[in-house]
Amino acid sequence: MSSTREVYVSRLRAEHLYKVFGRRPEAAVQRLRDGAGREELRADGITAAVIDASFEVRAGEIFVVMGLSGSGKSTLLRMLNGLLDPTAGRVLYDGRDLTALSPRELREVRSRNISMVFQHFALFPHRSVLENAAYGLEVRGVPRAEREERAAEALELTGLGGWERSWPDELSGGMQQRVGLARALATDADLLLMDESFSALDPLIRRDMQDQLLDLQKRLKKTIVFITHDLNEAMRLGDRIAVMRDGRIVQNGTAEDILVRPANDYVASFIQDVDRTRVLTAGSIMEKPDPERLDPERPGGSAGEHAATVPSGTPLAELFAPFAHSTAPVAVTDERGQLAGIVTRERLLAALGEQPTTEVTA
Amino acid sequence: MPRIKLGNWAESAVGWLNAHLSWLFDAVNTVLTGAYDAVHAVLGAPQPLLMAGILAVIAWWLRGLPAAVAAFAGLALIDSFGLWDQATATLSLVLVASLITLLLAVPLGIWAARDRRVSGALRPVLDVMQTMPAFVYLIPGVMFFKIGPIPGLIATIVFAMPPGVRMTELGIRQVDGELVEAARAFGTTPRDTLTRVQLPLALPTIMAGVNQVIMLALSMVVIAGMAGAGGLGEAVYSAVTQVDIGGGVESGVAVVVLAMYLDRMTGALGKRVSPRGRRATAKAGANRPVNLLRYRPGTAVATVGIVVLALVAGGMHLAGGGGRESVAAGPNVGNGKHIKLGYFPWDEAVASTYLWENILEQRGYKPDVKQLDPGPLYTALAQGQMDVQFDSWLPTTHKQYMDRYGSQLSDLGAWYGPTSLELSVPSYVKGIDSLADLKGKSAQFGGKIIGIEASAGMMGKLNSTVLKEYGLDGEYQVVSSSTATMLAELHRAIDKKEPIVTTLWSPHWAYGTYPLKKLKDPKGAWGKGEQIHAVGKKDFGKDFPQVAQWVKNFHMSEKELSSLEAAIQQGGKGKEKESARKWLDARPGLMDKLAPVTS
Repeated sequence: MSSTREVYVSRLRAEHLYKVFGRRPEAAVQRLRDGAGREELRADGITAAVIDASFEVRAGEIFVVMGLSGSGKSTLLRMLNGLLDPTAGRVLYDGRDLTALSPRELREVRSRNISMVFQHFALFPHRSVLENAAYGLEVRGVPRAEREERAAEALELTGLGGWERSWPDELSGGMQQRVGLARALATDADLLLMDESFSALDPLIRRDMQDQLLDLQKRLKKTIVFITHDLNEAMRLGDRIAVMRDGRIVQNGTAEDILVRPANDYVASFIQDVDRTRVLTAGSIMEKPDPERLDPERPGGSAGEHAATVPSGTPLAELFAPFAHSTAPVAVTDERGQLAGIVTRERLLAALGEQPTTEVTA
Repeated sequence: MPRIKLGNWAESAVGWLNAHLSWLFDAVNTVLTGAYDAVHAVLGAPQPLLMAGILAVIAWWLRGLPAAVAAFAGLALIDSFGLWDQATATLSLVLVASLITLLLAVPLGIWAARDRRVSGALRPVLDVMQTMPAFVYLIPGVMFFKIGPIPGLIATIVFAMPPGVRMTELGIRQVDGELVEAARAFGTTPRDTLTRVQLPLALPTIMAGVNQVIMLALSMVVIAGMAGAGGLGEAVYSAVTQVDIGGGVESGVAVVVLAMYLDRMTGALGKRVSPRGRRATAKAGANRPVNLLRYRPGTAVATVGIVVLALVAGGMHLAGGGGRESVAAGPNVGNGKHIKLGYFPWDEAVASTYLWENILEQRGYKPDVKQLDPGPLYTALAQGQMDVQFDSWLPTTHKQYMDRYGSQLSDLGAWYGPTSLELSVPSYVKGIDSLADLKGKSAQFGGKIIGIEASAGMMGKLNSTVLKEYGLDGEYQVVSSSTATMLAELHRAIDKKEPIVTTLWSPHWAYGTYPLKKLKDPKGAWGKGEQIHAVGKKDFGKDFPQVAQWVKNFHMSEKELSSLEAAIQQGGKGKEKESARKWLDARPGLMDKLAPVTS
């Protein structure tokens, strides 16, 4: 296994996935490949849920698939663990083609390598919190004592220590989803599929959960595919984001890529309402520092007055405070603490007022 | 539109099945009879009040003390009505039928829930099972499975199955799809998904189905009583057909007590076994002060209680065993041979059958007397499942049965005759003395002639011949109902002195009870009077040569028959045998005249 990991940089790889519902799905895929549109098929009573989706997810990253309802994102997610069988295309997990597995092998993969967190939590109401968290291990046949210990650890991790003996319907929505998360973590699966996992929660709780997921991710370094229809959530969580529309992936890139270089009008209109101050970073709008003000003698800084010095990953929202007190530019440093550029007041305002420009990407 | 002969096909199918698959029916019959007998033996073994106690402990365990007290009171009430044996028979039938139904229904429901095509194919079948009038398959049931509890059991299973299947399917389909998906997403096998997720969550709905199954089984068991299944159904049926209001109410109440007991217990059991119910119970029990009314014994305590009561019952049963044997008087020529007498609840049938039960018992036979409708009874005789019946009106009334089964029956000769069929009016209706007088008077009677069962021979004759002969066919409508309804209507009309025309026949006790006049039939449209024959199964003469001889020589005058009928009428329901015996004992020499023994 370790050797294949070296060959395949990506943990998960989707290759030209299609999912078509209706009669003679294979023929429909051929028509799509020949250039037929989704509407054309719909007229024949065929639903093309996912069309030619390809992407790679690297080990340890959060890959967000974002799209409105009906865009095919949930269908896409369910093909990744074989809950739905792709009509065409392959899913490679650590180089292993999941679409070619027997039902038994596929169940084995699901119980060991890929786990899932659901939109409406999908907790078993007839099982206690602990039994829910231990479910995946129970299916795998892990002895009771061991599985309960590991389930309790997972609950501890998601902040639910002490609630083991409670029942799902006694918990709030956020707590229920923590159980759902603990259930997914307890199996030690590396790949987590999260299907709109925070969408059913109210905004404050949702934010808490996002924070907790990011915090857990720092420690656990799981590989996560996260489905959402909420662009702000996508921007917040995603190392990389794939935007889906009408069954197709229309853009795939980092949050900044999407914000600064939307692939088409659709993405552009989609990101209109995004709070750019929280997505764009100092590094993405900084200018070359004025050479005259550069002071090579001073390590990690430049000569002259700076309102503040910030790392390049700082969101723009955090630059307002320094500018409130000073007209001097803010210095931006790279990972090594070297001066990488500056952000002036004018530059900041220009970046916020800027309409995204549509670029044609291949 | 050509006549589609579905009926003929069905008849040939039934004939074919009976001829070729009798081994299968015999096997099913053996298994079901075994199950029924076993359950019945267990339920019937203890003293009634002890059994009531055991059932009350179960109620205590499931629902608490008030339910236990109510259960005991209700069951004791059944015992005080003298209906305990019937109630245990019914309860056994319900339990066996429900158990078998569930063994079939739950797997079918699961299958239907997992496969749309199965669900689609099952739906019309279930509709048929639920809506097809039960008698339609009760009669073939009698042909296949012999008279007795089994046809009733089969009919009950057929009738009670649909809700079991439907509720199981519904329960499983109702389980949140996301939960099933979650189970799959964690690598659960389809079988485990069913047992760990779908069935536990569907359990409340399935238990509601179980409850429905049991209640439907109970209601059907009562109907099956009319086809010889025995139990409370037979008690209800015979009370109703004899216009025995009191007896009807008592048997009806007994049915209601059983129904309520079964309903409440299965309801509570549903809560007890469902995971959420268990959880609620555990919570409630954790920190609640002891309250006698709410206290419910744990499963272990309840089991111990039941076992103790059962042991006591067993002990008493052993000690008291053998006390019930009756001693046969007179020469024993029957040597304990069983002989099955069937009758339908017509008064002369009741009278002659119970008379013969006494005679045969005193001659050392073991007669089993069973009440049935005419259709099932003739069928049973033709199949050789019944030995003899005494109330065959020939050549007219029962012509249809003789046409059909004549070759499979043996006519043991007439013992009473001639009878007559007639329309009768109360004697206070003036100016109408003959059928011809009815013409133009329909307004007086609301245009109605109150008839009996549509299946009765005289109803056919009335419609096809008598009314036409007197030109009444456009004017009067013959209302078919049942003999009991006709008699109740007659009773009501006479109470209020209203005019009424009813179908009636002689002999009938109504002529001794109400002021009635038979309408003359100058044109002889009703035909000649009939003879009442005894009819045996085909081999009756071979199996019971002595009895056949006695029955062939049997004859009763109108005076004798009416005094016997009156004696039985006065003796009251449930005491027919005793009344007939007294009547017989009061006539020294009659016994030896009716059943002479050469020795």
